Amino acid sequence: MRFGRPAAALLALFALAGTTGCGRVAEPDVVLWHAYRGAEAEALVEVVHAFEERHPEVVVEVVPVPYQAYANKLTSGVPRGNGPDVFLFAQERIGAWADAGILHALEPTQHRAVLEALPGGVVDACRYDGELWGLPVATKTTALFYRSDRLDELGAEPPETTDDLVALAARFTDASAGRFGLVYPVGDFYFHSGWFFGFGGTLSDADGTPRLDAPSNANSFAFVADLLNERRVVPRDCDYGVAKDLFARGDALFAVNGPWFLGELGDDVPFGVVPLPRISATNTPASPFVTVESVLVSSQAARSPEALAAATLLADFIAGPESSVIRAERGGQVVADRTAALSAREPAASAAFGAAAAAGTPMPNAPEMTAIWEPLNRALDQTLRGSRTAEAALVDADADLRRALAPPPPPTSPLPYEVAFGLVLVAAAGLAVRRSRRTALLARMRTSRLAYLYVAPAAIASGLLIFLPFIVGASLSLYAHEQGEFSFVGFANFLNILLARDFGLTHPQSFYFTLVVTVAWTAANVVLHVSIGLALALALRDSWVRLRGVYRVLLIVPWAVPNYITALIWKSMFNFSFGSINGVLRWLGATPVDWFSKWSTAFAANVATNTWLGFPFMMVVSLGALQSIPRDLEDAAEVDGASRWQRFRHITLPLLRPALVPAVVLGTVWTFNMFNIIYLVSGGGPDASTDILITEAYRWAFERGERYGYAAAYGVLIFGVLLIYTWATSGRRATELTDG
Amino acid sequence: MASVSLSGVHKRFGDTHVVRGVDLDIADGEFLVLVGSSGCGKSTLLRMLAGLEQPSSGSIAIGGRVVNDVAPRDRDIAMVFQSYALYPHMTVRENMGFGLKVRGAAAPEIDAAVADAARVLDIVHLLDRKPKEMSGGQRQRVAMGRALVRKPKVFLFDEPLSNLDASLRGQMRVELKRLHAKLGVTTVYVTHDQVEAMTLADRIALLDKGVVQQVGTPAELYDWPANRFTARFLGSPGMNFVEAELRDGRVFAPGVDVPVVAELLAEGTTDGPVWIGVRPHDLRLEVGGAAGAIEAEVDVLEPMGWETHAHLRVGDARWTARFDAADAASLTPRGRVRCSVAPRSARLFARDDERALYRAPGPT
Repeated sequence: MRFGRPAAALLALFALAGTTGCGRVAEPDVVLWHAYRGAEAEALVEVVHAFEERHPEVVVEVVPVPYQAYANKLTSGVPRGNGPDVFLFAQERIGAWADAGILHALEPTQHRAVLEALPGGVVDACRYDGELWGLPVATKTTALFYRSDRLDELGAEPPETTDDLVALAARFTDASAGRFGLVYPVGDFYFHSGWFFGFGGTLSDADGTPRLDAPSNANSFAFVADLLNERRVVPRDCDYGVAKDLFARGDALFAVNGPWFLGELGDDVPFGVVPLPRISATNTPASPFVTVESVLVSSQAARSPEALAAATLLADFIAGPESSVIRAERGGQVVADRTAALSAREPAASAAFGAAAAAGTPMPNAPEMTAIWEPLNRALDQTLRGSRTAEAALVDADADLRRALAPPPPPTSPLPYEVAFGLVLVAAAGLAVRRSRRTALLARMRTSRLAYLYVAPAAIASGLLIFLPFIVGASLSLYAHEQGEFSFVGFANFLNILLARDFGLTHPQSFYFTLVVTVAWTAANVVLHVSIGLALALALRDSWVRLRGVYRVLLIVPWAVPNYITALIWKSMFNFSFGSINGVLRWLGATPVDWFSKWSTAFAANVATNTWLGFPFMMVVSLGALQSIPRDLEDAAEVDGASRWQRFRHITLPLLRPALVPAVVLGTVWTFNMFNIIYLVSGGGPDASTDILITEAYRWAFERGERYGYAAAYGVLIFGVLLIYTWATSGRRATELTDG
Repeated sequence: MASVSLSGVHKRFGDTHVVRGVDLDIADGEFLVLVGSSGCGKSTLLRMLAGLEQPSSGSIAIGGRVVNDVAPRDRDIAMVFQSYALYPHMTVRENMGFGLKVRGAAAPEIDAAVADAARVLDIVHLLDRKPKEMSGGQRQRVAMGRALVRKPKVFLFDEPLSNLDASLRGQMRVELKRLHAKLGVTTVYVTHDQVEAMTLADRIALLDKGVVQQVGTPAELYDWPANRFTARFLGSPGMNFVEAELRDGRVFAPGVDVPVVAELLAEGTTDGPVWIGVRPHDLRLEVGGAAGAIEAEVDVLEPMGWETHAHLRVGDARWTARFDAADAASLTPRGRVRCSVAPRSARLFARDDERALYRAPGPT
């Protein structure tokens, strides 16, 4: 791993800080990590007790690790001997971890008994590069939920084929009454995967290279587009929340969902679960993604033959039949072991999920597969909206994927950069020394030593919490990341972004397009926030004193609601079929608007949501500032002969400026980086055209092939834009303050 | 120039009845001072004149035109506020020119008017300053200058001097008087300060609880107060009172025996309970034990140098007398003292409604 020495040292520091917290009391033989909670965690502890009774010579320490920190702690802990010997995790990271040397490959012959009880496809999910890296423990996949009461009313049985499904759904659907035959997040490829693989879709070439535009891939897209746009048995804009609500209140006949949905449905909802129906067109079973929870042995266990033996024994036991029964009975898991599944708490549902998993497609575990989601979701969205044919959309998606997986810029020698950086440092130091000599800075520092002592805690804290991460993040922008490896590439990331090398200038994902959208987004919001806030402040000004309490509550309630919740509420208000905004439009006799299908309406929806969040701040600032303007001034202006507008324009507004300008600067910076609204309301759609710089940066880091360096360069550019903006406005502010 | 007249003006804020039926005629070019203690409704009355408040009932006329429904900008008035209300973000020049500017006057016209007014008020050197760069007195002048620029028919002043220190206030009083003499513009001036009222006014209107108690020249109000409130309000120290009995052409109280001046007595006045009031400087010290009209006990002596204020007990009442310093030298606290009062200097008020029982003699 090539990495600048200072940055590497800092990263190591953070990594150590993250892992030393898990110190051990005694020296156990095997350390077991898991991220379970509740019943699943209790069941696992019981499994370990059972293991220790059987093998009293082995001491096991069970360490629950929070899910969010799990992967990071693992990758930093195992190489230093601070990690687990055995751990539980979904199989989708196996490829990356095997490549990084975190895992110890298993010997299949040692686990023959266990493997024989498991469906072959599930075991295959734990293979990578011809080796077996884990033992399947439980599966998560999607299946078909049906309302048994509604099915009885139709006098029908659960569908065996998609033709049956479509026919039943069409019989049940009554769009005017808000009843739909089939509900699930149609634009989410995860939920779509059952149809995709059932229709013969494939995500890679014969040699395993990811590829999205195989000819058979378009079939399932067309199938769902037909359900949505022609047969209309699926509501438009159906997301997870809409699907859940419709199914729970009996306004949907079928839902595609996973085992977690069992816990989300109330006891009063009569339902059943069956595997997704066979695809009539191909006469093959639907084959949804299967995530396989597996037990893995880390490379740390290989420190001694005894430790490795104990770890292997534990892993085998956890995947084995006795453990499976406990986990199914006590933990409610959909266990991989087919016989043990019969003892589950909800045997029928568990069996259905088990069967679905057997027919399913293991979630790909190759590291590059993390980049497939965004292109596939976008292609699916385009097809369902009818803006592209499925074939064309998939060709674009493949191109997007290639870009995301493109090899990083070639590594360059950091030497010129280090020399330049060193020269800059020396020059800056020289300048600082000269200046401090001239202004006798040192002497003055000595006289106010106590003052420096007082500021020290704050200075150190902001240094550690703000400047250090900033420097690490900024220096990251000089590196490229590929599969756990960072290589120094100099300004290549910046050049790629600023020269729009990956896209044309006008492509929605180019930096300049996004910058224009971001500026338009910021300007529209700030103008609306200030004008609405100011107008309301002027209107409420007289009653403010009397009704202060009421207004405060009204204002603080929206503020107290976390903004992502507000964003989700507004997103559902903009829903095409069930949103209240289209409801009002229909009631008024207007045509409902498909808000997220066009740039203009999606942008407007984002702006409306953020205006709702933003105007109270400007209103409170304006109200406060208005209170400080003596009424005499306006009376004097009125007597002087100024009209209402002249009084506002010449008296009130100039006097509000000192309070408003900082608020506007602050509001601009907040809005410029308002990630939550864009990400949650329009999701950047359609076609990433409403994404702003910060959401683009996020996507480059986490949704498009983990290009951390590229994303960090975005971050540095965002910082630069805001720095210039605040610098320019503070210059103006300073002149304003001095004259007045 | 214009006359101002109010008739039957009432103002209510919710349940509070602030101005209760004011009738007032102000002549063209007159300097009228509205005086009263705080909360008496004088500022509200002025704001109604300006058009910043609407009367609940009654009518207000400026120059013979009823202006109840006329906006402030069309009333042709100018107002000077207690806080000066200078626009803090504008220079003096902009402040003074603002009224003309918003009325669409041309720049040269504005400049000329501002320059004129600035010369009159001697603030030419301040024209490019902002309000925060000036002293209180300078701001006061600018506020007056702003009122002057538009050459209004009526000036309204709302306690314009109360934010100044005492010596500056004295100077500005003189200046205001000079200015009014020069310009001769009808002026309505609100104050709580009786000295300003006495010194500035052509006529004073004294308000209490939203009702005009008396209107007249300062001398009329001082010499012939229409009721005990007016008598008490004007003069410092205030008029002394004691509850007395009018009987057989004399006024009696413990230690008091003063003959009534029959020719001053209002018609139909009968014997009975009254207040007798005497201004402090009307009390004469009777030296040498001569029989006096008023017997009192000395409480506290305050020598001022040229005179001595003696705080006395007359019966149950506390009085103040202003004696010549030499005469008062013999007085000692707790000692008895005899005073006299010229019968024409004493004032009588009815005990029930406190109206004055003596009337000013007609011009003879």
